[in-house]
Amino acid sequence: MNGRGIAVVRNDNAVYAVRDTCPHQGAKLTLGTLTGEPVYCGPGNIEFRRFGQVLKCPWHGWDYSLADGTAIGGNRTTRIRAYRARIENGRVLVETD
Amino acid sequence: MAIAPEVRPAGTREQPAAINLVDTDVHNYIGGSRVLLEYLPERWIHYLEHTGFDSPPRDFYPRYYQHAARRDSFPPSGIPGSDPQFAAEQLLDGYGIDIGILNCLYPAYKLFNIDMANALIRAANDWQIDKWLDADPRWRASILVNARDPQFSAEEIRRCARHPGYVQVLMLARNHAPLGKREFWPIYEAAQDCGLPIGVHFGGGHDVPITSSGWPSYYIEDHTGMAQSFQSQVLSLVCEGVFVEYPKTKVVLIEGGFAWMPPLMWRLDKNWKGLRGEVPWLTKPPSDYIREHIRCSTQPMEEPDDPRHLAQIIDMIGTDEFLLFATDYPHWDFDSPERALPSVIGDDLREKIFSKNALKIYDFARG
Repeated sequence: MNGRGIAVVRNDNAVYAVRDTCPHQGAKLTLGTLTGEPVYCGPGNIEFRRFGQVLKCPWHGWDYSLADGTAIGGNRTTRIRAYRARIENGRVLVETD
Repeated sequence: MAIAPEVRPAGTREQPAAINLVDTDVHNYIGGSRVLLEYLPERWIHYLEHTGFDSPPRDFYPRYYQHAARRDSFPPSGIPGSDPQFAAEQLLDGYGIDIGILNCLYPAYKLFNIDMANALIRAANDWQIDKWLDADPRWRASILVNARDPQFSAEEIRRCARHPGYVQVLMLARNHAPLGKREFWPIYEAAQDCGLPIGVHFGGGHDVPITSSGWPSYYIEDHTGMAQSFQSQVLSLVCEGVFVEYPKTKVVLIEGGFAWMPPLMWRLDKNWKGLRGEVPWLTKPPSDYIREHIRCSTQPMEEPDDPRHLAQIIDMIGTDEFLLFATDYPHWDFDSPERALPSVIGDDLREKIFSKNALKIYDFARG
């Protein structure tokens, strides 16, 4: 879109749009996997949360929140651009500016 | 097909007109031992069919993604790294790589039946020629050996070295014993005679933990901690006198990182000043042997928060000929030629890392 690759992800009734390029080494995030976030809740107890709201890079596995593009899990230096997206009349609309 | 006692020579392999990008670590995979049947003697064909043997054991750790591979590296059929044409298109064409050196991590060396291991290793070397080296002139490959049988390994090096596509001998960092020990010297003698460097790659035996105090729990420890094995091998190769006995030997440490090298050099040089009587064949500071005989591949590139620290570490190593670029394709921790080197690495050093340093180590036009 306007020369920018945008990854659009639909999960049930939610739709997300983020830049399709991992800022780390340039992998296409559309080739990644939709996942969640393992959260430590004490020894031997790991809960898996936010399933379907995290996009994992297909190369080095960096995780990004689809909601706001922030990197998951203490990765302080990286984020991807997230765009407002919604479904209207069966069409996906993405605000790029 | 009966195994050939001698590898078929394929004439001189010409270098491309210009080599600007060399990938010193690409992985090709044998889908399963049945792929090797046509390269095995009758005895082993029968044995594999009778036992239903598929593949030697691999790892105890799930390696992040299936086959430890980039998720976009699966060919139309088969596992990542099993399709020469797909790999050539995705990697060599995709990034403008002039030469890709194949390091086949077929773990037959883990088998306790040494004759079976040797037969499979020899078959794998013939498979590489047939399916990869003869398929695209940009591929080069490493000779698989069995460190548990150095005499066989020396014979296999001399046999395979007749093919100009073979440019290196492949050993592994987590070997069953430190690589400098004399039991392995027949391997270094053969490699030196054939003009081939020794590649020491990440990984190794299933019976040797990565630490000196047992097995860690997680892949992140295995992946990060492999530097321990590399450090041990550097110490062994230097202190046992491999580079004194075989002065033309070059060793390329592949996929082990390199930022740990300066403090190892400092500590070893310091101890040598007092303890050199124990190893009197070392007539100069050990770090001199390291700089002269050892190289490191770049992948997985160290990524400090401040990239200037990386430039400082390269400077501390003391030679700009030390690093050789590698992607590790098709693995998940792939380094892209377009992104892996930070901008603090200037054009001159970048050119050396991408190609010139490799051209000093490897003979890509062996005849």
